[in-house]
Amino acid sequence: MTSTRRDLIKFGGGAAVGALLTPAPWRLVTDTALWSETWPGVPRVARGEIRARYTNCSLCPAGCPVRARCLGDQPVALFGVADHPFSHGTLCPFGLAGHHLPYHPQRLKQGPVEQAKAAVAEAIARCGAEERIAILDLRPGRTASWTYRRAAKQWKSGTYLAPHRILGGDAAVNLAAAKNVISVGAPLFDGWGTPGNVIAARDKFRLIQIEATESRTASLADTWVPVQPGDELQTARKFAQDLAAQGPTLVLDAGERSEILALNQTTGALGTAIVSRREAPVPDSWNQAAPESQLDALPDRSIRVLLIDESAAGSYIPWSRIEKKLVADNPVVVVFGSSADGYGRHAGFVLPTAVYPEAVDDIPPAVDSPVAMFRLSTSLVAAPAGLVNPAQFIAGFAGIDAANSLRERADAIHKAGRGNLFTYADAKSTPLKDVKADDFWKALNDGASWADEAPVRPAAPILALVASTANATEDDLPLAVLMAEAQPTPGSPILTKLYQESNLRLAANRIALHPSAAKSCGIADGGRAMLQTRCGKLEVQVTLDEGLPPGVVRVPAVPCTLDLCGTSPRAKVVRI
Amino acid sequence: MIGPNKNVKAARYGMTIDVDRCSGCGACMVACAVENNVPPAHANATDRTGLTWIRVYKIDNGLPYPETRSAYVPVMCQHCGNETPCAHVCPQQAVDVDPATGVVGEMPQRCLGCRYCIAACPYHARYFNWWDPAWPAGMEKALNPDVTPRMRGVVEKCNFCHGRWHAAKQQAAADGKPDTEPVSYTPACAEACPTKAIHFGDLNDPASLPAQAAKQGESFRMLEKLNTDTKIYYRSKRDWVRRIADAPHPAGTGKENQRG
Amino acid sequence: MDREFIARGVKRCSTGKFLLWILPWAALLAFGLYSAGLCLIKGLNQTNMDNRFAFGLWIFLDLTVIALGAGAFFTGFLLYILKIKDLRAVINSAVVIGLVCYSGAVCVLGVDVGQPLRAWFTFWYPNVHSMLTEVTFCITCYLTVLTIEYLPIVLKNRKLRQIPSFLVFEFELHKLIYVLAGVGTFLSFFHQGSLGGLYGVLRGRPFAFREGFAVWPSTFFLFIISAAAVGPSFVLLTTWLVEKISRKKLVKPEVFSLLGRISGLLLSVYVLAKTVDTLIWINRTSPESGFPAAQYYSWQPFGTWILFAEIVLFGLVPALMLLAPQLRARTGWLVTAAMMACCGVALNRFVMTVQTLALPTLSFDRFLSYFPSWQETGTFLAVVAFGVLVYSISFRYFQLFPSERELRRF
Repeated sequence: MTSTRRDLIKFGGGAAVGALLTPAPWRLVTDTALWSETWPGVPRVARGEIRARYTNCSLCPAGCPVRARCLGDQPVALFGVADHPFSHGTLCPFGLAGHHLPYHPQRLKQGPVEQAKAAVAEAIARCGAEERIAILDLRPGRTASWTYRRAAKQWKSGTYLAPHRILGGDAAVNLAAAKNVISVGAPLFDGWGTPGNVIAARDKFRLIQIEATESRTASLADTWVPVQPGDELQTARKFAQDLAAQGPTLVLDAGERSEILALNQTTGALGTAIVSRREAPVPDSWNQAAPESQLDALPDRSIRVLLIDESAAGSYIPWSRIEKKLVADNPVVVVFGSSADGYGRHAGFVLPTAVYPEAVDDIPPAVDSPVAMFRLSTSLVAAPAGLVNPAQFIAGFAGIDAANSLRERADAIHKAGRGNLFTYADAKSTPLKDVKADDFWKALNDGASWADEAPVRPAAPILALVASTANATEDDLPLAVLMAEAQPTPGSPILTKLYQESNLRLAANRIALHPSAAKSCGIADGGRAMLQTRCGKLEVQVTLDEGLPPGVVRVPAVPCTLDLCGTSPRAKVVRI
Repeated sequence: MIGPNKNVKAARYGMTIDVDRCSGCGACMVACAVENNVPPAHANATDRTGLTWIRVYKIDNGLPYPETRSAYVPVMCQHCGNETPCAHVCPQQAVDVDPATGVVGEMPQRCLGCRYCIAACPYHARYFNWWDPAWPAGMEKALNPDVTPRMRGVVEKCNFCHGRWHAAKQQAAADGKPDTEPVSYTPACAEACPTKAIHFGDLNDPASLPAQAAKQGESFRMLEKLNTDTKIYYRSKRDWVRRIADAPHPAGTGKENQRG
Repeated sequence: MDREFIARGVKRCSTGKFLLWILPWAALLAFGLYSAGLCLIKGLNQTNMDNRFAFGLWIFLDLTVIALGAGAFFTGFLLYILKIKDLRAVINSAVVIGLVCYSGAVCVLGVDVGQPLRAWFTFWYPNVHSMLTEVTFCITCYLTVLTIEYLPIVLKNRKLRQIPSFLVFEFELHKLIYVLAGVGTFLSFFHQGSLGGLYGVLRGRPFAFREGFAVWPSTFFLFIISAAAVGPSFVLLTTWLVEKISRKKLVKPEVFSLLGRISGLLLSVYVLAKTVDTLIWINRTSPESGFPAAQYYSWQPFGTWILFAEIVLFGLVPALMLLAPQLRARTGWLVTAAMMACCGVALNRFVMTVQTLALPTLSFDRFLSYFPSWQETGTFLAVVAFGVLVYSISFRYFQLFPSERELRRF
């Protein structure tokens, strides 16, 4: 039988119609949706076994315990440790996204390590009689801090510098013992102390918040007392006098001003809400250590080599106060950190360090821990190659071997035999004397915290008050500067939820003004402006906030604004 | 649409949020973004083009300084139970109300991106992907394996952490519990809240915190007169906070809470 | 050069002059296609729409052009079903306008959605409760009807009708014209209405929400009446404009008067219905949702003037003008009234789309403002350019106005 072209066409046509009656073409039509479900750059979400690993968050001295939900070894979410007796399972918004920090696009990974080593060695050799080699440690109280103090002792004119603190070192706060708290702008519910501890103690004390603007803490306080900037001491004194009769009244200040904290001496806070805190034991061989000095006490133009450890976030000292202590001709400034936005803007060498949760470091106890604590931030994520460990780098110049300093410290604590070990995996608390040294070290690395016991006869706390320096009046600048709450730099990329995709927090490149103040400068919401103080100027974007009093500019507490406003309490805003 | 199964004991998951405890810290917003793989904002995104499945608004009593008093209100999808506005208007049934849980779910794979549901929602709880999501290099490793990332051009919103509900169901099945019983789980925002202002539970279970809070006098739901039967009960002892349940006050009377 | 394509008995300008006319519109179209292309490739972040203003310029324009293009179905209904023979003079033009308006609207909708590749989902997984499903189905079907109605106009071209199968096809198609007109009316009734229903069913937006009859809110019917009212006005306007630009008489003056009278009649019915509806909304529907109506108009710049402008200034006034025979007789008044009627409907669509989204719903919301980006404006201008181009080509090569040859002799 011969088939013709017509037969072929008939067959083809019949097959096409028949196919329409089958599910095949209709299934294929639905598959076109696949093109619309995938795009270049679609992330391939990983697969793997889910496990829990534990660490402590090192983004701030609270050091909150953390349970990391891990896919294999990779943390994909962070949670608090629910049964922890101090943090009660709380993490702040920054800690909840800490596992993103290693991937931040502006995170430093490379630096001129060899050149820095050569420059430091040469400058140390060249150091004149009146000149010094200084280490600035932004988060004192760590084991690394001891390494720096030991290194400074080894050098002819080594100096160990740390930000001055009245509370948080030898004197700590016991919030549970306070009947009243008078807070002059201290962000009790917004980054002060250990969030879980503050919230747990909330119902025990009455909070009077003295502040120019109604901050987050002020909105939750029992009483918010609006004051003009400058009137805080007077107001705090009045409240302290009235409330002291009711029970121990704790006075706190965001700027730790001595004249305000001195009020604690008359409110019954010393020995109750403020206690003396002994440090976690250190090995005896570490006794050869330089004392802690303050930057302002040094003569001007005396630092030849300055090594700044910015790897652990702490108080930021405005650069102008540091700069005037450096020698005039070619001082060597080396900054250790994970971001170039802090002191890196002023330094000669910026050496990259590991970030949380890559780094292994211990976290000193927070300001609101009445006893010493020792806990490690363990390494959940492998750090990239090319990073520097600041303690080992600096120790190398002093001939000290700091590679095992954390183990040595743990052993010293274990030897003293005090306190309790709380392990996170099983939520068990064990007296330290019932734990072997190796098990102690292993527990610390698997996620645990050691807390000291209160001394039988506690020493009277001493407040390290300093004489206040009178600031020159700057009345020609119209706006008083208010610092917003601290934010870690860099923070996780998804913190844009708080800073950019909502108006909840003030972004690093923004300032806030009352609408009338903005109008008088001719600036609309979102407009660009120059923030000017005695120390310089900075280009910013303006957010309008009706909750601010007129005559005030609210600025974010980030290094570039702290450089500008840290020593200069008044500012001017000019439209661009 | 998922048809109702008469043998299943239906849950009605809901929340109670104590506005007097909310500190406005934003931990809930961050925890939600971590759990649900919400990408970081594009450089040009603003608070009107961002993706914030839960968003904390700052409200105040409308009085000038120094009489101003503020509070913080977390707002997410209210999971309307009565004639759910968004479910009714979606042209291709990309929104469904699960009768077993009461959760209003969104299917990004079916969404056309017409944004009709965004226009329909009075709580502004729905968000459109104006850009393709992009994570910094390496950060995809840190994504939650239980939640699909969405591409641009589709709408997304809070689904009471549906991935966690699924995990709870699987765990219940592994434990040998009957499939017809509702499971107990906690969404990311409630788990992360440091002040414990957010509580999640089954409104059909009289012992749950949301069910108990719903009966108290100081509880209110937003825009209750719209009769959407929402499942988020807010609580406050302050009168001016409870007024946010009402419609906007006219402009210029000074009584409106204008910050958000 | 293209003389052979132009019908006998009518005069058209030279090819060169025509190209000169086409050129700027083609350039505008190219720019518009580039804008639309940017939106498709880079995403909708190219627009100024956001999560609060989910709909912007494009949706407002879609609703307006579809209302204006209603002349197509309504003129067809009046001519083929109600047998008003005089309208034969403008039916072809109305069909072209309709085609241009609907195809432009559909193209803009394709750019307006986040996932244009999923456009067929509405047909595959339709939601019977959603007005937008209804709109999608009816508009697509009606566009098909319009294309079929446009075919005879194309096939009657002087050169094309020389192909016998085209002639036969066109002849057979013409027998179906009554069916097509009926189907077109039915479909238009529903999609004009459901475009109104889109906003009327929004319970979460008490500014737009209306009660109604069964599943249809009152805006469903109001949109149908207003579209039917403004359709003839727009046909009138375009015919007058084409007469002015081509400097020819295209229709008898009575046709203008007829269109104006039909428009005026329906506009009066619309104004009455709209007034009743507004009163019910102010006194019952909106307060029952907890939203007192007065607060809507406290948000500047949308004060009560906008309500007055929509119903009285651009509603009642042109209705009365179009109904008055003395004014209808004067072209100036007639055209002004038709323009005002079109503005009134555009204003109504604006109020429903833009004002609805600008107004706050939560007590801590703000009044929001929105201004379209250049990409959005460009895309809209592409539709205008496309419309002018298609109409110009149709006018040149096809017989849009049957009376033209007759009137040439006078």
